Amino acid sequence: MKQSSAKMKKRALPYCLLLPALAFVLVFKIYPLIYCFIQGFHYKGSWSLETFRVLFSNKGFWHSLWVTIKMNLVMTPLQIVLSFLMALLVNQAVRGIGAFRSLYYLPVTISMPVAAICWSLMLSVNNGLANSFIGSWFGIAPQGFFTDANQALWCIVALSTWKGCGYWMMFYLAGLKGIDTSVYEAAKIDGANALQTLWDITIPLVKKTTLFVMVADTSINILLFAPTQLITSGGPSDSTNVLMYEAYKQAFKYGSYEKGAATTCVLVVLILIIVFFQFKLTNQED
Amino acid sequence: MKRFDKKRLGKAGIYLLLVIVLIISLFPIIYPLLSSFRTDNELFENMAPFNWHTIVPIEWTWENYIAIFKEYQFGSYLKNTLIMIALIIPGTIVICSLAAFAFSFYDFKMKKQLFALFLLTFMIPGEAIALPLYSLVNSMGLINTYAGLVLPALANGLVLFLFVQFFSDTPKALLESVEIDGGGWWTSFSRIVLPLSKPILITAGLMVFVNQWNDYLWPLLAARAQEVKVVTVAVANFKEQNVIHWGYIYAASTVSALIPIFIFLPFQKYFVQGITSGGVKG
Repeated sequence: MKQSSAKMKKRALPYCLLLPALAFVLVFKIYPLIYCFIQGFHYKGSWSLETFRVLFSNKGFWHSLWVTIKMNLVMTPLQIVLSFLMALLVNQAVRGIGAFRSLYYLPVTISMPVAAICWSLMLSVNNGLANSFIGSWFGIAPQGFFTDANQALWCIVALSTWKGCGYWMMFYLAGLKGIDTSVYEAAKIDGANALQTLWDITIPLVKKTTLFVMVADTSINILLFAPTQLITSGGPSDSTNVLMYEAYKQAFKYGSYEKGAATTCVLVVLILIIVFFQFKLTNQED
Repeated sequence: MKRFDKKRLGKAGIYLLLVIVLIISLFPIIYPLLSSFRTDNELFENMAPFNWHTIVPIEWTWENYIAIFKEYQFGSYLKNTLIMIALIIPGTIVICSLAAFAFSFYDFKMKKQLFALFLLTFMIPGEAIALPLYSLVNSMGLINTYAGLVLPALANGLVLFLFVQFFSDTPKALLESVEIDGGGWWTSFSRIVLPLSKPILITAGLMVFVNQWNDYLWPLLAARAQEVKVVTVAVANFKEQNVIHWGYIYAASTVSALIPIFIFLPFQKYFVQGITSGGVKG
């Protein structure tokens, strides 16, 4: 009898250890997620698809979705290529490389709102540093940057790439360090040049890292919000009106929580699709 | 001889590239830092034509720093942020290390499913659920309180995985020997697992610090009141109010950027180790 109660206790133990974490996850992560879908499927207090119908029949929504996707199609590959190249660079065995590695990481430690505000001042049309530089040295007329509908989105891409690459570089660096150096020696003996080695050996061997970075980076970039909210407010002429900002505006500017929730649902589904592909691709590898 | 030259040339090329990337990485940090030490007048007068003093101040001044602390209560935002983080770090570490301990050293029913649940929450970034979370926290009456800032941050998937990854390298035999000696789980956890986990504790603590210090959307929604407003939101407000001098913005940005950098640099080795071993292996 005593033994079985001890056994019960032992069986319950792992659940007890998990309980706090599980409780917090259920209340503050899972419940809001479910609640968001419930709210999205409500219209004026009752169950309905009306909110989504209104959302999907709105041209502004499709425009925001397109801006979000367009930004990601450029930004994510750009960040992946640059951070991979940076990792190759800081993987070189030269004196002082550790210091370079840490310094490259510094933009990551700065918060996005702070970076965004500083960039908006440096790229400001009047009295901006960038315009002074290109004007004085190259005689180029002042550019609009964040205030030009054709440039604003790409300025946000530049800002986020500057801030993000150091982070992904670290993952690539770990991937590169994990490659057995004998592979390179074998390639050298076979007479492969540097470019061939890079293309045929290094890139395939960090494929898993690339998959991870691709998915993690995409889901972060899809939710990128601070530069739009702080610098452009979605403009000029909605050119930077990403979906996350649209959801925020719906809920907190126009007071339409249902619409905000429906927009959030679309974002969550987008991310779930990406996560699903990651699982599929990673499992294929194994 | 020729080969030697080629090698040297290669090295020079590497350093050249390293320096170029360094300038791109650091310039947008250093320029605001330098500009925070000058008055707006001086800043604008020297802006064009572009010269050395467009970037480096002629007369250095602390004026901006004095102003943001005296007129704009920047100190109280710093204090609020530090209180929030001081509550989150130990809470997160306790909750996540206990859960990771269960996942790493025990077999139980639903283990796989529960782990998948944590995995899912880790993969959906917090920003995605910020709006519905606001409704929830609002209905609990916790908007504009520390509890509203702290509680949603405690279950941190990333920290949980760091611990799981780290614990998986701890031999189970050590724990079995504790049990044979009649010790309970608490003995194993506090006497064996935790002392071994020092590097991961530092990594997790740093990661939480940097993430919370830089978090924006959640405090923007949940902590707008003066008594709980954090640094990122305060800096953002500077911009929103539109009245502020550029020097003030640069000074506030510099303070907000330097604190995590100074905390990060001494520990960067652990941090990098943690990211690269805990996140995914290549």
